[in-house]
Amino acid sequence: MVDAIWAGLAALAAPQALGFMVIGVCYGIVIGILPGLGGIVAMALLLPFTWDMDFAPAMGLLLGAHIATIWGSSVTSILFRVPGAAKSIALIFDGFPMTQKGEASRALGASAAAALMGGVIGAVFLAVSIPITRPVMMALGPAEFLMLALWGLTVLATFSEGSILKGLAAAGLGLLTAFIGMDLVTATPRFTFGSIYLLDGISFPVAMIGLFAIAEMMKLFATGGALVERDLTAESSSVWQGVRDAFSHWGLVFRSSLLGLWIGVLPGIGASVGGIAAYAQALRTSKSPETFGKGNVEGVIGPDATLGANEGGGLLPTLALGIPGGEGMAIVLIAFIGLGVVPGPKMLTDHLDLVFTLVWVIALASMVTAVIGLIISPYLARVPSLNNNIIIPLVLSVCVIGAYAARGQVSDVIVAAVFGVIGYVMDKYRYSRATFVIGMVLAVMIERNLHLSISLYGDWFIFKRPVAAIMLVFIVVTTAWPFYRNWKRDRELRKLALAETGRAT
Amino acid sequence: MLRKWKSAAAGLAASALLAVLPLAGASAGPVYDGKDVTVIVPNSAAGTMSRYAQMLAPHLAKNLGADNVRIDNQPGAGSLKGTNALWNSKPDGMTIGFTNIPTLLIAQIAESPGVRFDATKFVYLGRVAAEPRLMLVGGNSPIKSVDDIRNLGRPFVFASQGTDEDFYTMVVLASALGYELKIVTGYEGEADTSLAVIKGDADGQMTSWTGSLPQIQAGDKRPIVFATRERQDVAPDVPTAIELLKDETKKGQVEAIADILNLSRGFFGPPGMDEAAVAEMRAAIEKTLTDPEVVKEMAAKDLPIVFAPGEKQQKTVGQVFAAAKDLTPTFKQALAQIK
Repeated sequence: MVDAIWAGLAALAAPQALGFMVIGVCYGIVIGILPGLGGIVAMALLLPFTWDMDFAPAMGLLLGAHIATIWGSSVTSILFRVPGAAKSIALIFDGFPMTQKGEASRALGASAAAALMGGVIGAVFLAVSIPITRPVMMALGPAEFLMLALWGLTVLATFSEGSILKGLAAAGLGLLTAFIGMDLVTATPRFTFGSIYLLDGISFPVAMIGLFAIAEMMKLFATGGALVERDLTAESSSVWQGVRDAFSHWGLVFRSSLLGLWIGVLPGIGASVGGIAAYAQALRTSKSPETFGKGNVEGVIGPDATLGANEGGGLLPTLALGIPGGEGMAIVLIAFIGLGVVPGPKMLTDHLDLVFTLVWVIALASMVTAVIGLIISPYLARVPSLNNNIIIPLVLSVCVIGAYAARGQVSDVIVAAVFGVIGYVMDKYRYSRATFVIGMVLAVMIERNLHLSISLYGDWFIFKRPVAAIMLVFIVVTTAWPFYRNWKRDRELRKLALAETGRAT
Repeated sequence: MLRKWKSAAAGLAASALLAVLPLAGASAGPVYDGKDVTVIVPNSAAGTMSRYAQMLAPHLAKNLGADNVRIDNQPGAGSLKGTNALWNSKPDGMTIGFTNIPTLLIAQIAESPGVRFDATKFVYLGRVAAEPRLMLVGGNSPIKSVDDIRNLGRPFVFASQGTDEDFYTMVVLASALGYELKIVTGYEGEADTSLAVIKGDADGQMTSWTGSLPQIQAGDKRPIVFATRERQDVAPDVPTAIELLKDETKKGQVEAIADILNLSRGFFGPPGMDEAAVAEMRAAIEKTLTDPEVVKEMAAKDLPIVFAPGEKQQKTVGQVFAAAKDLTPTFKQALAQIK
């Protein structure tokens, strides 16, 4: 095993392999920053270039790009409230408020450091987790995935900004938007009005580009002023502050990384749900949950650590069962087949050095991304305070290109514009766009897994699946606890007040 | 003197070149000479379908004498969107399509929403590959044969991604082989259905042989029956559904679906495609796919070539369609079951 670890590193230590990894990382950061484009697109575009390469340089290029998109996507979420990819949606919840408070550098630093730590923890635990992957995958199924999605739903309350009803209405609208297109079970068209374009549904990245980026630019145009009022709040933080934050919240980083690793393991839970689950986890375990959504650095660290660790997880089901854990890993596996290696449990005995090359790529690419990220963050942090005449055309043109590039359809650009108006109106009348997005992401996962659970285990599936039942109890308790605490506090306050008034009379 | 000799040599060389040129032109043909050809691939840019198309495009361009063969990915609506676009394209031969032909036929037979074409009227230009599909069960399942499925005493739980070819193939197999089916659909992809089968949540699934090879080797999945006309060299012990049947009508239904699946990945053109263009395109596709160099190169990239000429495909589509019309009620019944 130790031999294989070194052999894996040695293959990657060649100048050619390292060179391609750095190229992959730089390219990945750029793709990540472009809204709508994420790791899958980055890898698909690079794949044809890797056909005549050796294994280590090919993996350095592909996986390096994929890993780098994580931080790249976080950058625009934090600076402009424009998620660079679906997976980094959770970063806008606290990342952008930090930018507004003049802490953009700190947020970017924390984001890069958390993604690095997540990547490294994920890589280390990858090796340790190989023996338990199979039993865990056997134990978890649709019922448990459903519970994970329900857990994600509990963060809705955080974003309802005073009015629970408005928050729920926005989430419901997100849910309805997710229902447009062919349903996942019977391929019955829903809300398509006979349009072939709508059969595919509303693309999530396209809707996000509209809801956040275009809406934000409209608001900027309508109200004047700057994205971040620099006269009021000067950029006061440093990148190193963010790095220190990530290290001082090591417990959160560790929990989030393990969550990310296991979300990567399980096919059927995507990284965008993973980001929201990580946010829920950070919120539920925080000492100051009331500051979430208002610029708490923990809300940046949690999701980024999860996303950083996610990639390594995708490798595990391949090693255990020969099944890719996600779309990204499926592309990596094509490269394996090209080498004549059948992806599966045999890799552990026959090609362990290749496995460790992948592990090293994940760890080293995370480091290279973090180093580049920390160097460019202070410059990026100044962008939001640019003059409107520069920033609005710049962001809008990137949005239009991003909306088109995601699927190569002009109709998507129109949809992005429509969602821009929806986002603007929602923001104006204080309907939370965050709950809209959470509703949209989780709707598909809830529908799919609820249907599968009922079909497989019957209507009372929750009592037949002990793990799911325990998860449900946990969700109910952690959600109800703050309400109970508030109710108890109110009652005591009232008692005190009564006692006060009693004494007065 | 020397100069004279040189110019004579140049003249000779020039005339030799001239003599060769028309020959090269003849094989390329006048329709596509120096033109740009667009291949609509109604699948995502990241999938196997696009890899096939991208790898073949330069060879096809060379054999057509075309300047450029460009791949245009138009994914959507389960590959119906790009196919509809091809249906409406100009039939001058400069736009053709490449996809999994069974998807189109089955969508039409099942009367899926979104079908705006008549698959029998497309011009088929040549098959690139064929991947036999088969039914598999989990490694720990008590099921070892089709007889075991019949004697299960309960419906066979089938994990499905949606209403795709595999869904309809399984439905036809169940109705012909005589076992009850419980379809659990809505899984996100083959990884999910595989996991469900290995775990024992579901009894079986349909995949290609290569798609399940690692799990078969590891003993996590067991092949039960092929949906092909003949047994496969990769697994000579696994029977075909057709050989298990005696009833001629049922046999005919399974044969129809086997023939549909056998059409597999291929090039096709819009209805009424220019005849000269069809002839040149079919010749160029045949030349490309029978070139040993290309076959070797593609095999090395794990993109095997199993060529069949376009004329043959055209004939099969017509026959299959006539035979498969009977399947519509079976398909509709299965859809009603999951709704």
